[in-house]
Amino acid sequence: MRKRSFWRSLLLLLSVLGPGFVTASAGNDVGGIATYSAAGAQFGYRVLWTLVPLAVSLIVVQEMATRMGAVTGKGLASLVRENFGVRTSFFAMFALFVINTGITATEFVGIATASQMFGISRYIVIPIAVVAVFFFILRFNNKVVERTFVVFSLIYLTYIVSAVLAHPDWHAVVMGTVVPDLHFNNIEYLVVVVGLIGTTISPYMQFFLQSAVVEKGTDEQDLWMARTDVVTGSILAIALAGFMIIANAATIYVANAHGAHLAPKEAADFAAALQPLAGEGAAVIFALGILNAGLFTATVLPLSTSYVVCEALGFEAAVDRKFSEAPVFFTLFGVGLIAGAAMVLIPGLPFLKFTIYAQVVQGMLLPFELILMLIIINKRSVMGTYTNSVLANAIGWATVVIIGGLSLFYGIHLILGGFR
Amino acid sequence: MAFHEGFVSELVGRRATVNDLPIGKVADFLVNKPEDTFPAVDGLVIKTAQGPRFAPMETIADVDHDGAVALTSAPKVAAPPDSDSLYLVSDLLDKQIVDVDGRKVVRINDIELANTGGKLRVVAADVGVSGLLRRLGLKSFGKRFTPWIYKNVPRSLIAWNSVAPIRETNPSHVQLSQESKFARMHPSELAEIITDLSAREAAAVIHQLDDETAADALEHLDAETQRTIIEDIGTERAADIIEEMDSDDAADLLAELPEDQQTQLLAEMNEYTAGELRELVKYSEDTAGGLMTTDYTWIYPHRTAEQTIRKIREIAPESEFIYYLYVVDKQDRLLGVLTLRALLLAPPDATIEHIMESDVVTLATDTPARDVAATIARYDLLAVPVVDADFKMLGIVTVDDAIDAIMPENLARELPRITARKHPRPSTSSG
Repeated sequence: MRKRSFWRSLLLLLSVLGPGFVTASAGNDVGGIATYSAAGAQFGYRVLWTLVPLAVSLIVVQEMATRMGAVTGKGLASLVRENFGVRTSFFAMFALFVINTGITATEFVGIATASQMFGISRYIVIPIAVVAVFFFILRFNNKVVERTFVVFSLIYLTYIVSAVLAHPDWHAVVMGTVVPDLHFNNIEYLVVVVGLIGTTISPYMQFFLQSAVVEKGTDEQDLWMARTDVVTGSILAIALAGFMIIANAATIYVANAHGAHLAPKEAADFAAALQPLAGEGAAVIFALGILNAGLFTATVLPLSTSYVVCEALGFEAAVDRKFSEAPVFFTLFGVGLIAGAAMVLIPGLPFLKFTIYAQVVQGMLLPFELILMLIIINKRSVMGTYTNSVLANAIGWATVVIIGGLSLFYGIHLILGGFR
Repeated sequence: MAFHEGFVSELVGRRATVNDLPIGKVADFLVNKPEDTFPAVDGLVIKTAQGPRFAPMETIADVDHDGAVALTSAPKVAAPPDSDSLYLVSDLLDKQIVDVDGRKVVRINDIELANTGGKLRVVAADVGVSGLLRRLGLKSFGKRFTPWIYKNVPRSLIAWNSVAPIRETNPSHVQLSQESKFARMHPSELAEIITDLSAREAAAVIHQLDDETAADALEHLDAETQRTIIEDIGTERAADIIEEMDSDDAADLLAELPEDQQTQLLAEMNEYTAGELRELVKYSEDTAGGLMTTDYTWIYPHRTAEQTIRKIREIAPESEFIYYLYVVDKQDRLLGVLTLRALLLAPPDATIEHIMESDVVTLATDTPARDVAATIARYDLLAVPVVDADFKMLGIVTVDDAIDAIMPENLARELPRITARKHPRPSTSSG
């Protein structure tokens, strides 16, 4: 009897859990934890306002991916290939593969950070983690993944509790959320903002979300339910990000404002944000959290990237095939996973900086993906009567322009100011 | 025509000329009979300043006239609408197809055309890296700078007679083609392809199969995939397919579905099958009742061997399992069993009750799957009958169903694929 492959089972599981979990798992991986923490620790409550427009964009982008999947029954990679041909898909897939390998590396950064917090060398832990990832894929089990998700979600709940227990200045929280605070002259602020965008609306997330919608067999009739899922899921993901920022702002940022020097140099320093809840145990909870997040995403990301690239370029893709039957698929998967892990073994690699800059690159690539999505979703030949509304187009293109503008601004700054 | 063979990507974008004067560029290729084994190209779509125009093959003087396509007269008519014909570029290029001989879901990177018998025909789909490079415009680059690398890029062409589009781009052609290319695949191979597809694509493939083939393929799928497919293809078609399935598999599938859907499907089926399935659905999946099929061959005790053989010949084509013949009375009570071998070797005038084995091993409906398999193994049987308290025949459990029920799932996946090939594999790659 033929069973579903790993990819199919995983997508189905994601679609059953709902897009909210897809978002939470994609946005709140190691890179997410690092970026939200850094934002709160460095700039306090005044970055919170960015989450409001981000939430709107996130909802619109995810709704688009959901609608495209439901109406066409095809994944985003397929649609890009069928509407833009080989050249565009090739470059899009190349970019996706490179950035996802970088993101995979940041997941291993999480694993390495956790292992160092427990006093074990990363040169021991990373190879073990790679073996664990292979094993996990070969012995895929829905139950295990479900439990991982649950443990995974618990760490975010600890952030909510910790944020409340830290007695943040709620007035400042509200003001920070509703009053936009722009600093174009502050390049570090700009980096964090683009990083926040990149980690919250990760380009790869749209591919997974749409594939999950297709796998579930969602069609036009189910669209309302799927849309409700998108809205609740996005708001949930953004709220969790908000609490993570508040927890860090109320502890590290406030302490620094009072003369302490907790300037976080490594992700491990962000464990301080959990102290109001866990006290001495904060480090352990934080380490377990990023270990879990890192392992889980490191398992899913290289494999699903390999699937997406093969879907677009038309190569055979299946875990249960022999190497000779799907050589491109296995090569991409192997290279993505091992290159990601190997990067973390580079001596002296600045972990935190690397992790946040990977999110910045994601943010800079996002406009390109959105342009492709916006063109496809406005084609009557593809979407029939389900093309974008004026509002969705306005928000979509505004997102492209704003992120594109920020990226361009940042790029010019880099060139003029030199790479720092 | 100087043109012998080449790829669509090389022809698209070429200048089209009349008397060496450029009139536009080649945009697409029209095929009117895509159901042919190697369909002929019936004309070119030329993108002119006035919009897309259709140039029938008769007006094409040379496809390769100094790197341009030479026409005898300027095309006047607009291209026929997409719904009536197949366009190679807009309908097939970049789309997913199934390679029915390689059992793979792949994407068309390029299409090979060849000039055979004075006609330009579609001969193969390029699904390999070399097709990708050609489309990327890297072919000449590769040849010039890295001849060694380029020579070693695998070319993978799939002969057109093995190319089966997942979505029939033109539904009216489905009826025209005598046999879907998918029908050439073994049901277990089809099932494998279906697990690689999304729900809607799977439904599109099922749509191209006849009921019997679809039923065979469905039997090889896991419950979850079966359910999504049934939900996608519509009650009427689903009922037709389920009717063709082995009754035990059909019952398992029905048991997985919500109550109202079950009722709807049963209402669409013929009364006899529906009645049987209603009985079978009641039994739990991992008991003899859940494993059994009602598709067994029964005979009467007072007939002669010769009469019985004639009877078997009549009913055997309908029956899956004829190796054991179950002897029953008018009330369906099991009296004995006769192997096909014993029947064939018996004198023609011997009566069944004298040659049958009356000491029959039987099971009750609630016998656990493990014990069913143990019984079959202990007595070296191909099937074992399931009876009620009055010894009334309810069905049989065959050895393959018993094995499936007790074998760990991951072991079943690791077993080598044993597949019968109906057609020898044509040479699909070269270079």
